[in-house]
Amino acid sequence: MAIPQASFISRLLRDKWFIFLLIALVAFPFVVGLLTDSSPFGVARGDRMIMRGESVRWQAVLIEVYILAILAMSYNLLFGFTGVISFGHALFFGTAGYVLGLMLEYTPLDTTLAFGLGAVAAIAVCALLGLVIGLVTLRLKGVYFTIFTLAVAEMFFIFLGRWQLTRAEDGFAITDLPMWIDPSQNRISVYYIALAAAFLTFFFIRRLVNSPTGAVLKAIRENEDRAQSMGYNTINYKLLSIVVAGMLAGVAGLLQVVLNKKVGPEILGIAYTVDPLLMTIIGGIGTFIGPVIGASGLHLLDVFLRDATVRIGGLVIDIASIWALLLGVIFILVVIVFPLGIIGTWQRWRMKRPKRE
Amino acid sequence: MSSILEVQDIHTFIGQFHILEGVTVSVPQGGITVLLGRNGAGKTTTLRSIMGLRPPSSGSILFDGKPIHGKTTYAIAQLGIGYVPEHRAIFRELTVRENLQLAERKRGDLARKTEFIFDLFPDLQRLIDLPGGNLSGGQQQMLAMARALVPDNRLLLIDEPSEGLAPVIIDQLIVAIQRLAGTVSVLLVEQNFRVARKLAQDYVIIEEGHSPMRGTMHDLVSDPALIQRYLGVA
Repeated sequence: MAIPQASFISRLLRDKWFIFLLIALVAFPFVVGLLTDSSPFGVARGDRMIMRGESVRWQAVLIEVYILAILAMSYNLLFGFTGVISFGHALFFGTAGYVLGLMLEYTPLDTTLAFGLGAVAAIAVCALLGLVIGLVTLRLKGVYFTIFTLAVAEMFFIFLGRWQLTRAEDGFAITDLPMWIDPSQNRISVYYIALAAAFLTFFFIRRLVNSPTGAVLKAIRENEDRAQSMGYNTINYKLLSIVVAGMLAGVAGLLQVVLNKKVGPEILGIAYTVDPLLMTIIGGIGTFIGPVIGASGLHLLDVFLRDATVRIGGLVIDIASIWALLLGVIFILVVIVFPLGIIGTWQRWRMKRPKRE
Repeated sequence: MSSILEVQDIHTFIGQFHILEGVTVSVPQGGITVLLGRNGAGKTTTLRSIMGLRPPSSGSILFDGKPIHGKTTYAIAQLGIGYVPEHRAIFRELTVRENLQLAERKRGDLARKTEFIFDLFPDLQRLIDLPGGNLSGGQQQMLAMARALVPDNRLLLIDEPSEGLAPVIIDQLIVAIQRLAGTVSVLLVEQNFRVARKLAQDYVIIEEGHSPMRGTMHDLVSDPALIQRYLGVA
């Protein structure tokens, strides 16, 4: 049985949608700039730049989409492809942010060096956290593991929200970033870095899941006993999954801190666990593009609707004040209409269709 | 004839329930032994105990003369024991190819065995890229068997291979298992007496967590009273 292995480039070219999307997103800052007559680089004021105009505003929106997409994709690796439900994903996201922030603010190193070291250290800390949590808890089954991860994440949230070194609940602003990744000076470069990170994450996860190792992960998701009976030490594979997912969530956390130039306990909050969970479910658990669809869909809806008001007769409703309610309704509707998520249901429908004909 | 598997007086609990209350089973090298008995007697639990999925609380299990009780499931599998669970336990979301690839224990296992496997189960060849869940019951059972044949297993534990299958498919499976005889040893659980009789040389009756009777299939077949007493079939 020959197993054809297309080269990476030829497989890449086969994904036509990928090429289109990449070109569109690369051109995006300039297209918005042209359409709205604003500069994608911001406005020069002396030798500093001011981030003013539609293009840079939308760059920030999309950077957040990329961050959330990376976070959701990493969550999906664990939840969708390995079947491990963690309620502590924010732990990795926030910890990476704190490590970078502390490195930049508390070490006397040169900014670029501090940033590089901080980023590497942050990802390493995420890997270590994943390893420790995994070793301690992956023997626990199902809900016990989930509860434990929630407890650890909340512990970090409470601890860092009280610790004086991290300025407790106020957090601290990052004053000094290297020029090439400072979103208030050079946002377009942050935009391209985040875009590249999101695409690389996508392809990395796809490659991993389609590899023999990925097949073991999917086998564990379906029935761990069976995978064990075939001779696989499933704990090691689950550890790998949690470590990789943690590191990728860390990448998202780094970008978030860079974008906001601020570190605070909110990046460890439950929202950064629940959001990727919802995004993954809405987009399609265990599909490659599903979490990306879920992340962009929810975040863009949020952006578009947050400042909107709806007038029904004499009644004016401010969307922002009912946003959580609206999100809940959207979630319920999606779950009813797309029980496997948007992409999952679509794939199932496509698979069934030829049989009906 | 030496035994490849010796299960000695194992006791297994599921929660607080004492399911196996002293089961003794042996499988001769290259032979096929069948566990017979009514539903709920403890046949499947015996297989699961051997695999370490339900570790016995006492008693011993020797594979090739070495104790394996207390080892983890994956370590037991790695010794060369293939488990074909009941209900055609394949990975439904993985393709036939992925199911077979997963079964590799060393690189190249599948490549070496492909011809043999497709010869035993020709259907699998054309289904190779379908998800396991799309296969019919008989095809799934063949995939489950094929998967256990990919690595160089020396003992197969096969649980109810004929359950819910059409007679013609059952005949195909019987032929396949017969062709394996000699190269691997088999411990079979089979409710279908016709199948058990064709395949096995030895039997062990499992009843209410005990193993009261054992012997050669030849003797059992010639003793209708015994069959009637333990199995309710003649």
